[in-house]
Amino acid sequence: MADNIEDRFAVETELLGLKLLPGQEANLRAAYGVLREAVALVGTDYPFEAEPAHVFAPAPDWASRR
Amino acid sequence: MTASDPCFLSVAEAAALIAAKRLSPVELVRAYLARIERLDGTLHAYVRVLPDEALAAAHAAEAETAAGRHRGPLHGIPIGLKDIYDTAGVATEGGSKLCLGRIPPADATTTRLLKQAGVILLGKLTTWEFAIGGTAFDTPFPPARNPWNTERDPAGSSSGSGAAVAAGLCAMAMGSDTGGSIRWPAAWCGLAGLKPTYGRVSRAGIMPLSFSLDHAGPLTWTVEDAAIVLQAIAGHDPGDPGSADRTVPDYRAALASADLKGVRLGIARGMFERDCPASGAMGAAFDAAVEVLRRLGASIAEIELPPLALYNATASLITRSEGFAIHEKTLRERPQDYGALARDRLTIGAYVRASDMVQAMRRRLMLIEATEAAMAGFDAILLPTCPDPAPVLGELGPYFDNRRPCHYATVSTTAGCRCRCRSSAAISTRRRYCASAMPTSGRHSGASAGRSCEEGAYSAVTLVKSWYQLCAG
Repeated sequence: MADNIEDRFAVETELLGLKLLPGQEANLRAAYGVLREAVALVGTDYPFEAEPAHVFAPAPDWASRR
Repeated sequence: MTASDPCFLSVAEAAALIAAKRLSPVELVRAYLARIERLDGTLHAYVRVLPDEALAAAHAAEAETAAGRHRGPLHGIPIGLKDIYDTAGVATEGGSKLCLGRIPPADATTTRLLKQAGVILLGKLTTWEFAIGGTAFDTPFPPARNPWNTERDPAGSSSGSGAAVAAGLCAMAMGSDTGGSIRWPAAWCGLAGLKPTYGRVSRAGIMPLSFSLDHAGPLTWTVEDAAIVLQAIAGHDPGDPGSADRTVPDYRAALASADLKGVRLGIARGMFERDCPASGAMGAAFDAAVEVLRRLGASIAEIELPPLALYNATASLITRSEGFAIHEKTLRERPQDYGALARDRLTIGAYVRASDMVQAMRRRLMLIEATEAAMAGFDAILLPTCPDPAPVLGELGPYFDNRRPCHYATVSTTAGCRCRCRSSAAISTRRRYCASAMPTSGRHSGASAGRSCEEGAYSAVTLVKSWYQLCAG
């Protein structure tokens, strides 16, 4: 994995097979920085017991509310 | 605007006059069409006006009333629809070159329900491209302008919906809200904007942006009007997998009492004083509103929510990922046909890894649980809608900042989705209560207009009632 965010962006862009239009790369690179900050904020350090299988439930179950 | 201008009647006021046969739907439609003709060249709230169809529908509505067949409080009410709502036989283009000439064969569920309730469709309203593209100048339609000051941004993505209602170009408009796209333009355009509880209103036939965060709802002058509209569009729809099958209460009845005794409100002050400080004017307006609520009998205390940046980051990863999933094929095949803002905002979703998305979904559940825990003992949370007033058109940044967003609306969207939250509805009300963008007096440019707002107590009551009861389901 590349060391800095610019290199990571370049590597991931290539891996994703994205063909960027002229001028798009600079904008996306800036957005990529915001995105990685979001990933860091969301975090990865969840306890195992917090595994929320029901996160993937397909529809609201309003009967369980209230 | 004059006191007798029918274009600034609320839905409830117009409905009462129509029911009493003191206001003709035909004359009402003609008044709106004349005003659209006069002002929309500047405001760009509409992408398509339907004068012939609207007049024909108005004549039909008038005939029905004459025959004693009155459909209810939306009978003969002229409205606009954000141009992501499918309309059978009428182009629905999502503000994008990619969809020019796209004519849906059927109405969206909400379109159908509103028509059944008797509304008259004046036309389709400007939207940010695919409800994400921002205030863009490289898409087929010019961006809508804020009627209070046409140099300013009306916010989005329901930009035309906010501009149209605020300028008196329709009595009510439908918008969509994935992170704040109803409540934000409502705030900057001085309106009420309602994001119903997730699952309450069908999204079938509305162009999607983020399956698990999209909502449909109205922008109106008053909360009572929002209640009237919600009554017509709420309900289970098998066509929307996220739709909830639950009894629809009588929303308007919940607004009858002005008494706030027993209503418990929590102020998440940390959000707008520590996490993302609101500008002085916004904070002062919010504090003034809180005092009104207190005088009306509400009990008010401060509550602590998780950091605002966490809600924003979580919602951002989910929205970007789901949005890219929807648009990946066309982004790869026809990227040049997107406006630059929509193209970039959607393409960035490609960089959200599967594990990032899963972590965001886990974090979302934790935010739901934390928000519910914080709300224990309270009926509603109070927040300003936006930290800052509307900027000059085109000066919104290209990307939303996790730590200093344009609005606080993502809190209820993120914490309200899915099945766990008791109620995720949220509403932005106008001036003095939700920190609207501009002063209520002054700065009225040539195209600007608006209802007077000497109804502080009423709006304050309806603000709370809307959170407390109107939207509880």
